[in-house]
Amino acid sequence: MDKREYKDMWVGIEHEQGRIEEVSLELCCQIRKLADLAGEKLAAVVAGELPESQIARILDCGVDKLIQVEGSGYEQFSADAYTELYTVLCRKHRPSAVFIGGTSKGRDFAPRFAARLETGCTSDSTELVYNMDSGDIEFIEPAVGGRIMAVISIPELRPQVATIRPGTFKYQPAGRRYCQLLKEKLDFDPGKARSRRLEFIEESRDDSLDIREAQVIVCVGKAVKADSLPLYKELADRLGGKLACTRPVFDRGLLPYKLVIGQSGVTVRPKLLLSFGVSGAINHVTGFSDAGMVVAINTDPSAAIFNCADYGMVADMDEVCKLILERLRPGV
Amino acid sequence: MLNILCCIKQVPDVDQVKMDPETGSLIRAGVPAILNPLDANALEAALQVKERYGGTICCVTMGPEQAAEALRECLAAGADKAVLLSDRAFANADTLATSYVIYMAAKNLGKFDLIFCGKESLDGATGQMAAQLAERFDAGLLSSVLKIQDLDEEGGCITAIRELENGKEVAQALLPCLITVEKQNFRPKLPSLKSWIASRRAEILQFDSGGIPGLDFRRIGDPGSPTKVPRTYPPKLGERGIMIDCGNMKENLDQLMDVLAQVL
Ligand SMILES: Cc1cc2nc3c(=O)[nH]c(=O)nc-3n(C[C@H](O)[C@H](O)[C@H](O)COP(=O)(O)OP(=O)(O)OC[C@H]3O[C@@H](n4cnc5c(N)ncnc54)[C@H](O)[C@@H]3O)c2cc1C
Ligand SMILES: Nc1ncnc2c1ncn2[C@@H]1O[C@H](COP(=O)(O)O)[C@@H](O)[C@H]1O
Repeated sequence: MDKREYKDMWVGIEHEQGRIEEVSLELCCQIRKLADLAGEKLAAVVAGELPESQIARILDCGVDKLIQVEGSGYEQFSADAYTELYTVLCRKHRPSAVFIGGTSKGRDFAPRFAARLETGCTSDSTELVYNMDSGDIEFIEPAVGGRIMAVISIPELRPQVATIRPGTFKYQPAGRRYCQLLKEKLDFDPGKARSRRLEFIEESRDDSLDIREAQVIVCVGKAVKADSLPLYKELADRLGGKLACTRPVFDRGLLPYKLVIGQSGVTVRPKLLLSFGVSGAINHVTGFSDAGMVVAINTDPSAAIFNCADYGMVADMDEVCKLILERLRPGV
Repeated sequence: MLNILCCIKQVPDVDQVKMDPETGSLIRAGVPAILNPLDANALEAALQVKERYGGTICCVTMGPEQAAEALRECLAAGADKAVLLSDRAFANADTLATSYVIYMAAKNLGKFDLIFCGKESLDGATGQMAAQLAERFDAGLLSSVLKIQDLDEEGGCITAIRELENGKEVAQALLPCLITVEKQNFRPKLPSLKSWIASRRAEILQFDSGGIPGLDFRRIGDPGSPTKVPRTYPPKLGERGIMIDCGNMKENLDQLMDVLAQVL
């Protein structure tokens, strides 16, 4: 394979009920920069109907090409349909890289079409670097529980396929450029679908579980005692913020997965993050690298969390939490 | 009868990996190897299916000889058969090469209706294997399953509840189907002493690359792996924050409250 024959970086646009998933736009913004460095074009791939207003949001990110796929089989997400679609499109247009949001849908089909194309796929990188010498993208991600950063590359094959978690990159539209429109027609035979949705049970929206946009976050780590959780919930409430946690807290069954901050959880950008009993593993701290102010409380003076904090205090978490609460309770 | 395959992996207990502060390299010596935690959940799901619908469970792993230990753990938990794919030529495999080897070996072991694997591994942690194994097996995929509702062997389909970002989905897939599970409803049980002892003596089938018919050597191990890890480096530690340390708790708290007041 002559990899120089493969050009253009693609972002797959995920959408449901006429709305684009944020992660797709985040990727358009980030890959815009990468494509410029590589001297390649940025293309967005949209399958199925999408209103003009949503298309406009893609164009605002500065895409050079819009590949619009018409055809049956994309009304309802199907990993089989998308696998086939990307396989066919990649064979025809030969992109150098394809980026897909690391959502439950994206993770179901991106590695799959990569396997069908017999090319490489990476997941969950937190940083992307274009290597000028090799012409390869370096996918950088925390490995071995965050103790090292691993650089991953796909030196020989194309396209380079990657899934990236929502929130990893910022939505910063670079502004419109001249955009070429490419229409493709490809029908997916529903008989080839191996699975289908019978029913969808929408979660009654629990606002406290949506920490993405929270301005204040109280985050508890593995050291939290089950009995003390209400204290931290109260603290979060009093500060007008939300409670969040590290992954081991979820693993212990104490708090739901949606509250986990980090590489495999949610990325947050609060004005204030108060961290209690968290060691500061990279897998976790990548989830709040853009927080305004971070204050950490930990009994271990050498904990890495203090290196991600603006202010730190070596103390028992429950003690500090109780004392802050005392001062915040009305009438004190 | 249902034929179930469960793909498992032995991983270093990454929590116990330390870093040499001098050299910045990882100290792996003495770190215990464990059954990948999410694979134990996948196996538990397989065991629950077996309990409800009957069938046999074959556990397979591609790894070094020591990985037999993880397979014994699966046998103790109730798996019927264990297969170790071990060969130097398999080393440095990424998910593409690993899924290929597992598929080629499985083809030789039987025709599987259900294939379980972990949502992700502690060390590889790509979470890609499920989709790629499904592709190899030409199978459907139900990822992040919370509950298996129904299995219709005659009709050749399985219905399950899946966990998605914004809710739950009831989905149906044709057999063969690949399944990954959420851990909540599939917590592994402790094996009985009897089955544990039996697992010590149980036979583990072992194949090397020569023992897998039709294996294309260009597609295994390092040559068959398009993703490479050219280098690693220690994470950059940020600068240490300002430590609040006035000598007594009251003053510490005064200062802390001042800091909070800056942003609130
Ligand atoms: C592939 C992979 C992905 C991962 N993704 C994520 C992720 O997205 N998010 C995530 O959070 N983790 C993730 N992890 C796990 C991550 O590597 C760490 O294991 C985890 O973040 C550690 O959580 P912790 O700091 O709460 O626990 P620990 O590391 O156990 O730290 C507990 C801390 O509490 C302190 N402490 C103990 N007692 C007290 C007390 N009384 N008062 C105050 N402090 C006290 C201790 O000094 C210690 O520093 C991932 C791991 C892997 C392998
Ligand atoms: N070498 C292997 N042998 C058998 N199964 C594996 C192997 N590597 C990964 N798996 C399976 O794939 C899952 C996901 O792995 P990963 O893609 O590395 O996160 C694991 O939990 C295992 O179930």
